[in-house]
Order: sequence, then structure tokens, then C-alpha cells
Amino acid sequence: MKKILSIYIASCCALTGVAQDRGNLLIKNGTVLTVTQGTLTETDVLVKDGKIAQIAKNISAPQGTKIIDAKGLFVMPGIIDPHSHIAIDGINEMTSPVTAEVAEGDVINPLQMSIYRALAGGVTAVHAMHGSANAIGGQCETLKLRYGTFDNDAMKMEGAPRTIKFALGENPTRVHGGGSQIVPRTRMGVEFVIRKSFSDAQKYMNDWDAYNKNKLTKGFHGQPPVYNLRMETLAEILKGNIIIHCHSYRADEIFMLMKVCKDFGIKRLVFQHANEGFKVAPEIASFGAMASVFSDWWAYKFEVYYSTAYNAAILTRNGVITSVNSDDAEMMRHLYHEAGKTQKYGGLSDEEALSLITINPAKQLGIDSRTGSLEKGKDADIAIFKNHPLSIYGVPQYTIVDGIVRFDREHDPADMRLLVDPKQNLDDIIPSEKGIDRCMDGTEFLFGLSSEMNTAEKETQLDKK
Amino acid sequence: MIRFFYRRKPLRMAMLFFFLPGIIFAQTEKSVAPVGRTYAISNATIIQAPGRKIEKGTVIVKDGLITAVSAGATIPPDAVVIKGDSLFVYAGFIDGLSHTGVTKPKEEKDKEKPKDPGNPPADRVGLTPQNDVRDFLNPNDKSVEELRNLGFTVSQVVPYGNFLPGRAAIVLLGGNSPDDMVLVSDAALYSELRGTMGLYPNTVMAVMAKWRELYRNASLSKSYQSLYASNKSASARPANDRVLEAFYPVIDQKLPVLFKSEQVMETQRIFTLKNDLNFQLIIANVKEGWPILNKIKSSGAKTFLSLDLPDEVKKENTKTDQSKKETKTAFDLEREALEKRQKESIGLYTSQAKEFNKAGIVFGFSALSAKTKDISANLRRIIAAGLTEDETLAALTTNPAKLLGLDDRLGTIDNGKIANLVLTDKPYFNEKAKVKYVFVDGTLYETETKAEKKPDAKVVGQGTWNYSAETPDGTVTGKIIIKEEKGSYSGTISNSMNNKTTELKNVSIDKNKLTFSFVYDDNGSSLNVDASLTIDKNSIEGTMTPGGTESFPVKGTRDPKSK
Repeated sequence: MKKILSIYIASCCALTGVAQDRGNLLIKNGTVLTVTQGTLTETDVLVKDGKIAQIAKNISAPQGTKIIDAKGLFVMPGIIDPHSHIAIDGINEMTSPVTAEVAEGDVINPLQMSIYRALAGGVTAVHAMHGSANAIGGQCETLKLRYGTFDNDAMKMEGAPRTIKFALGENPTRVHGGGSQIVPRTRMGVEFVIRKSFSDAQKYMNDWDAYNKNKLTKGFHGQPPVYNLRMETLAEILKGNIIIHCHSYRADEIFMLMKVCKDFGIKRLVFQHANEGFKVAPEIASFGAMASVFSDWWAYKFEVYYSTAYNAAILTRNGVITSVNSDDAEMMRHLYHEAGKTQKYGGLSDEEALSLITINPAKQLGIDSRTGSLEKGKDADIAIFKNHPLSIYGVPQYTIVDGIVRFDREHDPADMRLLVDPKQNLDDIIPSEKGIDRCMDGTEFLFGLSSEMNTAEKETQLDKK
Repeated sequence: MIRFFYRRKPLRMAMLFFFLPGIIFAQTEKSVAPVGRTYAISNATIIQAPGRKIEKGTVIVKDGLITAVSAGATIPPDAVVIKGDSLFVYAGFIDGLSHTGVTKPKEEKDKEKPKDPGNPPADRVGLTPQNDVRDFLNPNDKSVEELRNLGFTVSQVVPYGNFLPGRAAIVLLGGNSPDDMVLVSDAALYSELRGTMGLYPNTVMAVMAKWRELYRNASLSKSYQSLYASNKSASARPANDRVLEAFYPVIDQKLPVLFKSEQVMETQRIFTLKNDLNFQLIIANVKEGWPILNKIKSSGAKTFLSLDLPDEVKKENTKTDQSKKETKTAFDLEREALEKRQKESIGLYTSQAKEFNKAGIVFGFSALSAKTKDISANLRRIIAAGLTEDETLAALTTNPAKLLGLDDRLGTIDNGKIANLVLTDKPYFNEKAKVKYVFVDGTLYETETKAEKKPDAKVVGQGTWNYSAETPDGTVTGKIIIKEEKGSYSGTISNSMNNKTTELKNVSIDKNKLTFSFVYDDNGSSLNVDASLTIDKNSIEGTMTPGGTESFPVKGTRDPKSK
């Protein structure tokens, strides 16, 4: 299937010409922040066919190779946002507490302006996630920000492992218990829903295994089990083929999910948000789970009051692979600032801080062999900054995906829309994408809210109730 | 054949002979059988097919078929003769997707919300692939006559609904009963990538997941049914499931899936499903195909492009205001740049057909979302954007006939083809051309030549209008009051849903077009609604569009108490 898919993608690309472009490039004389192999001054990076071919001093490139003079500039791996909701049409299938079968990969929208804005912040890849309305939400998709293509498949980071969104706590209980009056209403209910789903998936797998085995016997006339895409997906989690990324805040529920995963033999687990992760950092580390956190964002609901800006540092010092994420199209544009905050709160080194937005999210998405650091053979996903990226004066100058310059501050046209709505009302289109939390999109009507409202308006309305 | 003859009850009967085109037809009672089913259109300019023209030729129509086409065809003695001295004759047009003649099921009000929104009854979420559009056909629906009056004689029609509304049929735009209309039943399985608000599947991703699951389960149950058939005593009897059974002919590659495929991302998502499941595909009402021409071409999907084009930008008053200004502000410049891109964008939609043609993709057109009154003008816009008249005619006749597998019976004026003809007083694509007669299946229809509305008649928009709107939440009624003061308009709107009266914003009346917007307030949540209405003396008709969602129809009349 994967093979067929990649052939299909390749054939599309050959035809469209834009998608899946791979570039050649020579970046000269920059300060190269490799993240994994130290900092190299006055060093060149040679890119061939979208891959890093060489990192050394005084590289000469074949004639005609595009050259970026990075003298005085900082060259770092492209930033990876491990928690984002951009570039997709549809975030929450909130009609059921378990919707493992739905996939963000089906609804990629490469035309969203937020993609270009993210590039302008040095971001080259995002984890486009299902929202947190369901205990087991949909499958997520790791995207490369190849802005400029209309081809939805061309946005996918080909070969990236499958991931899925889980959610604990207030969101799933509010939507299903509060909104639809069904299980789960409580944190206990969330655990029950997850355990039951895994148990059902085990039974489902056994039924199919038995059927497939019996089918081979002569004269077998049995009926096949009902095919269930939800169970198929859950079974893939049990088999270790899908990484769980779980929306979570409280230490007790983080601990709970680790127990559940242990009971079902699931090892690949990343906690998203994990505001109380610092309380169970050793436990997370010993499980081998990872954490993706905000630098200093909290108190937007009850379960997020017990938080600290030292979270990332404490997790890191306890040996947890930790990343900093945005969950937000606006914050995504300055993730390098977010990473920098861990130096103020926790005194992380430059390399540790940069790891939070490069190699660590790459590990959490299972793409660290391909991206997340500047090393020979890796994808040429690169951000070039004026001033050090962790400095408050750091400004992205170029953002490169697969060796193609997708953002160039010197050549940044005013109107980068790929498709202009012919019916747009010009009075309405100025700032159209508010930097809002879209994690609960599609659930508004449950709370008497309108999907047209921004977050502040929604919160005001909720407070009134 | 004789049975066929007597079954026919044309709406209009003609005198035995006509001497001039456009002569008023004598009307007889509907129940009276036609005197004859033989017609001769003599001495007309016959465009048999794109690029094939006979000057001063004759077409003979007999018992629903074209029996002769030539310069010197002998006119049978029993033929009703239409002297076509100044007429142009074309093969009847074919529409690739619409709801023409299809009755929209009445929305049940106050339906109880299912207890578990994740597991709703199938019919609540459009999961009704077993439905047959024939059950919803009505030849007297005004949409049939409206589309026919433009020269369309055949439509591929589908039931209303979302997700999997049912099976399509290819119908003739004439006849007296639903069965009369049907040319091909079970033409395709119709689907839209559109879920149901608040119920599973709600989002597009869930619709796609459910689609895959249904298809795979259908494959499994189909295999099991054949296994059972081979030895009925050895296995458990398979369960009946009309939903899954509807997929069987699709799995057998005998029935194509017809998707409404308007937006560029929607089309690609449909391709994703097709590539996963490998069914025969028709994409219709394509509006944004040009950015992915190669993907469409390599998909091999049969393609119908939408006849619904975005409105051209009218010169706005603000522009003249701006030109008066001596220096333009940054805001003015930005607005100009945005207007320029919007105009270019409209051009892309209009030239889509040309681009498809250039890429070598054979396509037809579909009327699904196009307003009937705009279709002729839109065809002219498509031609102005670079598709030749012959290519446009092909997209209306020969191409769709081929795509629907009916080119042995439809698409050209040749012996033996179904007598679907369009007779115009000038070449069809001429702006002043009028369709005078249409033959559908050998039955003659005169297009009513209504007294033309005088465009210069002054439209009065101000006053009080009683309106009703068909919203997804049911019918809403209320009053729209429009006031005019020194050439600028203002007003209010009330509605029965929240019993509130709201001020209107951006009220404008341009010729007979009334537009405004207002904020709808429901229990603290607010929604911006744009209204676009056409005024016709004492009635208004048009749509309202709440921000970000689909528009709904609105009708109204002038309040008799209002001046």
C-alpha cells in the first residue's frame, strides 16, 4: 500500500512539476548550528537534490548552483512544530468519543496562508493534529511546508510514521459528557473509554486472525467479521505502528495513561501540553514516553492552573525527550522565542534549547533520521537567521524545505495567496486568520457559541454561562 | 411502437401546419393525443455536430427519432412542418449533473436528536445509497421547463442530500410521468463529501473514513454472498443490507460513482478515495480544476465542468470616489491590489474550460449550482475566455453523450438518433439568440416567449417586504424594511427565530439587485449574514449566506400595506 501510494505521489509530482521539488543550493560562510554536532563558524552547507550533501569550509559548488551568502548569519535546522492545526480542513470529528478512523491526511489544505506565515518564522515541518474533543481522536499527519503547491499529497512528509491524537481531561468530558450526555463525563470515564477501545481492538484482531486462519482450511464456509476502520486503526496502535500523541495536563492522568499503555504493551507515547509533566518527569522518562509542552502558557482553564515555565527544563533534566510547541498559527511564527524562554527559566544550553524545536520534535514524530538537525544525508530543511535564533533580535531571513527556498525575507510579496476567492468581500478579508486556539473547532454549537467567534469572544460567552 | 405512440401526451399540441416560426400555438387539452409524431423542420441551418453544418437543410423527426437529415429530404405527407427559413437547429444539450425535475424532500421539523450522535440512524446522515432518483422525479417541476428552455434536453439527475443520497438517472427533460423521463436508470451512485452537522459523519475526514469502511464491508459481504450461493446449506445465511448492496455494482465496475466535485481540494480528496478503492469515477460540477489539470487528466475520471461562474465584478462607486482623490492612501492602494487579484481570479474560473480543452481533457458541463438565467451568459463568458464556439457546442452535446455512453443515441443530428433538438432564431451563442422550439424525444416544446421585461423600468426597493427563508433550522419569516434617504439606503430585518429586529448594514440597490448584511443574534451568539435578493416589482427572491456556511433560499413579497 505504501509503495503504491509513493508511486502515485511520484507520478502526480512528475506531472504537476511543482510538488515534491528538490533543490540544489550552497549556503556560504554561515554560523552553522547543527544542534547535534556542535556549532561550526564560517562554514558552508551544500544541498543536492534536497538533501544535505556536505557541511564543511570552502565548499565549491557546481556551476549554476544557487548560492546564499550567509556571512554573519546563523544557519539552523528548520523548526518543527509538533503540535499544530494548520493546513487542514477539519479538526474535530466531535460526534463520538472515539474516532480513530478519521485522518487529517485526508483533509490537507495546502492553500492556507498560515503555512506561508509559519515559513516566515523558520518552520519547515508541522505535526497537523486532530483536536482534543475526543478521548481517541483522529490520526494526525506530519507535513512539510512546501507552500506553493495545490497538490494536497505533496504536503505530506512521505514516509513519516503514523500518529494519532488522544485527549484526557476537561475537553473530552465537556464535549461528550457535558455536550452529548454520554460517556465520558469524568476522568475515570476517559480511562474507561480508552481501555475499552483497546480491549475491543484486541478482540477484533483475534476475530480476524481466526477468520484468516480458518479461511485456509478446505471447505471453510464461515462469515468474515465486520470490517471496522476504527478497530483497524486501534489495532495498529496495539501493534506499535502508530505513535500516540496525547493531549494531557494533569500529572495523575499522565500517569494513568502510562499505566494503560503498559497494560496493553504500547510503548510509543508522547504527551502533548503536559503542563504538570514536571511532577511526573522521572516516571515519564522511565516509561520512555516523551513530552511536548508550551513554554509559558497556562491558566486558560481549571486543569491548567498548576503550571510552571520551568516545565521544559525540568523534563529535560530528568531525561525526557522534550519539545516546545505552539498549538497556534501565530505562536508558531516565533517558536525560537518560545525555546529561548527555557534559558531564562531553567538555564538550558543553546543546544538544549534549540533541540526543543528541532531534533526533539523530530524524535517525537519519528522523523529524526531525516530531519531535525544539520547533518550530511538529512533533508535540507533549513532556517537562516539574522542574529542568533535564541536572541530576542533573531529574525528569520530564509526558510528552505528540501533545498527549495520557500521564504526569503528580501523577496516577500504582499499577497501570497495561491487561490483568491472570487466572491470575497474585500471589507472582510483583512486579517482573516486570527491567532486562535482551534483545538475545539466544530464543537461550538454544543455550548451555544458561534464558529464565527474568536477565542476571546467564546470565552466571554462561556464565562457568562 | 404503437403503444409508445399513444402513451405520449405532449403538453402542447400544434396546428397541423406552421407557416412561420414563432407563431402562437393553439393549445388543446392535455389529455388529447397528438395528431401525429412526425415533424419536418425545413430549410433551416442545421448544425449536425460541431463543425458539421448543412445550410438550408431539412430534419425529419418521426416517432421520437431523427429519420432524415439532408438538404433535399422528402417531407412525409403527415409531417407537421416547421418552416425553418431563419432558424438554426442544434442537437439537444446534455447536462452532466443537476437536480432538474427532482423533488426536494421536505425537511422534517423538530426531529429528535439521536441519543448517541456517534451512531445515528443512516437516513439522518444521508447514508441512503439504496435510494433511486426515479422515486423523486416530477416532469412538471418548473426546473424541467426552465432548463429545457435554454436548449437542454437531457440531464443526469441525482437525489437531494449529502454523503450518499442515492442513485442517479439520465433523464429526458420532457414527458408526462417520471418513467417517461428516464433514459437510463441506475446511471451512477451519487456522493458528496459533505457530512451532517453534529452527527457522525460530521467532518469531511469522517465522511471519507466511513466511505472506505462501507466499501470494504460491501466487498466482504458481496464475496460472502457468492460463497453462500455456492452452498446454501454449509453457511449462515448472509444478512440483507440495502446500503451495502448498493455498492455491489460499483465493486463490479458496472456502476460509476458520481461525485459533486467543486473545490480544488474536494476533487483531490475524491481522487484519494478512488485510488484507495479503485472505482469508476465521474467528477461533476467542477469549479476549480485548473490548478490540478494533470492530476485530473491522469485520474481518468469523466469530467463535467460547472456552468456556475463567479459574478463579474461590477464597477463600484468607491472607485469613482477614489479617482477624485488627489493622493491615494496606502489603504486605497492595497484595496486596488486586492481588487486586481480578485478580478484575475474570476478570469481563472471563466477560462477553466479553455484550459481543460488545451490539456486534452474531454469534458461536458453541469448545471447543478448554476442559476438557469445565468447559463447562456456564462457560456458566452466561457467563449470570450477562449473556448471556441465549436468546442463549447461539443461540451454541450457530443462530449457529454460520449462520457455518458450515449453517443449512439444522443449528441448529434443524425439518422437514428433520439430527436432532441434545439431551434434558435440566431446562432445559439449570439447574445440576441432566442430558443424558439425544443424537441425532446421527438416531442415539440415551444419555449414561451414571455413579454420581455423592460430593463429600464424603475425598480423600487424601498418599502416593507414580507420574507421567508428556508434555513437549515427550518423556515424563518419576518419583515425587511428598506428606507431611502438622498440616494443611500438603510433598513431593518426581523425574524421569527429570535423575534428580534436588527439594523441592516451595507444596504445597496443596483438595478434590481438588493444586497445587505446583518448580524443575526441567537441567544448571545452572533452570526454575520449576507443577503442578495433580486427585486421583481412586488416580489423578491434570492439567498442569504451566513458567514462561512452554505447559503439558503429566500423569497418574499411586498407588504400590501407598504407604499
